[in-house]
Parts: sequence; structure tokens; C-alpha cells
Amino acid sequence: MSRRGLGIGLSLAAVTAVLLFVLAKGFGRDPHEVPFQLRGKPAPDFTLKRMDNGAPVKLSDLKGKPIVLNFWASWCGPCKMEHPVIAWGAKRFGQDYQFYGVVFEDTEENARGFAGIPDPTFPQLLDDHSRMAVDYGVTGVPETYFIDANGILRDKVAAPVDPETLMAKLAALKQPAGPVSEVVR
Amino acid sequence: MTALVLGLVLVAYAPQQAGSALLDPPREARVQALGKQLRCPMCQGLSIADSNSSAARAQMDKVRELVASGRTDQEIRDYFTSRYGEWALLEPPASGMNLLVWVLPLALLAGGGLAIARTMRRPVPAPPAAPEADTRGATSDDPYLEAVRAELRR
Repeated sequence: MSRRGLGIGLSLAAVTAVLLFVLAKGFGRDPHEVPFQLRGKPAPDFTLKRMDNGAPVKLSDLKGKPIVLNFWASWCGPCKMEHPVIAWGAKRFGQDYQFYGVVFEDTEENARGFAGIPDPTFPQLLDDHSRMAVDYGVTGVPETYFIDANGILRDKVAAPVDPETLMAKLAALKQPAGPVSEVVR
Repeated sequence: MTALVLGLVLVAYAPQQAGSALLDPPREARVQALGKQLRCPMCQGLSIADSNSSAARAQMDKVRELVASGRTDQEIRDYFTSRYGEWALLEPPASGMNLLVWVLPLALLAGGGLAIARTMRRPVPAPPAAPEADTRGATSDDPYLEAVRAELRR
């Protein structure tokens, strides 16, 4: 093969390799899956009002015990199926973990109708214009976030949580966390 | 009956929380322009400014809040990419790996154009010399035709 032919062949091979790399990178992931960039970072602080007694709840005051934050709305069908699972988890594991529900893009009146009788083990928080939800990178409901005892966002489930998943995620919260980086505020 | 069906549909699917109040026109124009650049997490290729989904409404409210607090456009884009990754941007920035997406098609186009130009510039090879004409049989002025005939006669 001539030097010119070798050069053309190598150039074509290089371009093909780059194209394959770009395509593998682009097609190797689910386009509907929204990345969760806050994993391993400090959970954004918030102060929200409890729906049952109006008392403010501040995240930075809750450190010391892992937290489960469940985002829901009364207009969300899957949230209706999931709600009893989180309420069950709050009763069963409430000694070691703190459970909070956060109302997403809903009116207080509708949310009260959905949550029913106030449950002290699973208090519901009102998030005006879902500002705190966007701070957490919520993409829809239901979504559940897991924060460890040091206030680090460890994981999230962007689907209705079943009891097995809940127990697995709670157990993982007790494991040591990796390196931590800051969040753009 | 129509009113009943319409009522049920509206109760079931209408937005449950209104969006935040619009800002003054210049700042609201910035909100809308930024909203056009950000991808709606619940839709197929729509911006949050063009979608009326609950998540898009919440994000537009956040953009409005950040604009009202005096953040620059870049700071607002950074806020969203720090939560949703570059996925949040409808137009990925031309830097890093993304640069390949912008540069590669242009490089391929330039390479292809160069190859075509070189091929066009190359001199056309001279036609092969015509074999001696066979005087037997029919003759023609076309040397190629004569060559073919000579081959057939062999």
C-alpha cells in the first residue's frame, strides 16, 4: 500500500473511531433519564411549613438522623399508591429515620384532602411554588430523596417506592458516604 | 353532559398551583429567553417555556425567582446544570466532548470537499491506443468500435 493510501486509511479509521465514541456516549444512556447531579453533595437547606400545625421545619436543624423526603401531589395517581408505603416506613423505621412529605405543585386544600388525617410520624410540608423541589432537582412526582445523618444527599428514587426498595435505601443511608463536593446555589 | 365531562377533566388534569406572578417586561423577557434554553424534564424535546407541565411550571418559577434576585444568565444556567446536568440545556455548550459534535461534521464536510477537489483536478487519463484496424469486414471511424470488433474477430 502506498504512503498516500495508508494516510487516507488511517484518517478514515481515526474519524470512524471518534464517531463511534461519540455515538456510544450519546446512545449508551436512556434519553428519558434525567441525571441526578446532587448525589453525594450536601442537601440544599430549606425552611418549609408543616401542613398539620404550621410549624417551620428547617433542614439544618434535622441533622443527626437520616431523612427521607417524599415529593407528591394530590393530582398524581402513582402517589396515591405510594403514600401508604412511605407512611408504613415512617411508622416502622421512625425511631432511626425522619420521614417528611413535600407537596409538589399543588394547592394546600387539595393536599389536605389527599394526606387525610395528619400523621405525626410522616409530617407533610408545604413548598410554595415548588422552589425547594427545584433546588433538589425534582423532575416530577412521586420522587423520594435519601439524606444521611450528615446532611449529604445520597440517593433518589424517581418512581413509586415499594417496601423492598425503601428498606434497601434506608440500609444504604447507614453506610459511609464517599467524597463530598459543593452545590451551586 | 358536555359541561359535566369538561368539569371532570378540568378537575382531574388542570394545574393545581398557579405559576408565580410575571416580572416587569424586560426581566420577564429574560425569564422567557432562559426558559427557551432549558429542557423540560417531563416532555419530549420541549423547553420549559413551551411546556405547561407541572415540572416545567416549577422550573419557570425558579428562573423567575433567580432573575428577580439579580442572577446573571450564566449563573442561572449553572444553577440548572448543577442539578440536572448538561441534559438541562437544549443546546449543549460547544466545549469539551460536545465540541466534537460541532466540529466533526464541519471537518468531515471539509475533508470530503477537499477529496472531491483533488479528484476533479487530477488529469483525465488518455484513452488507450486503438488497435490496428482490421481491414477485413466493415470499418468505422470510431477507434474504440474497431478495437471491439477486432477482439470479437480473434
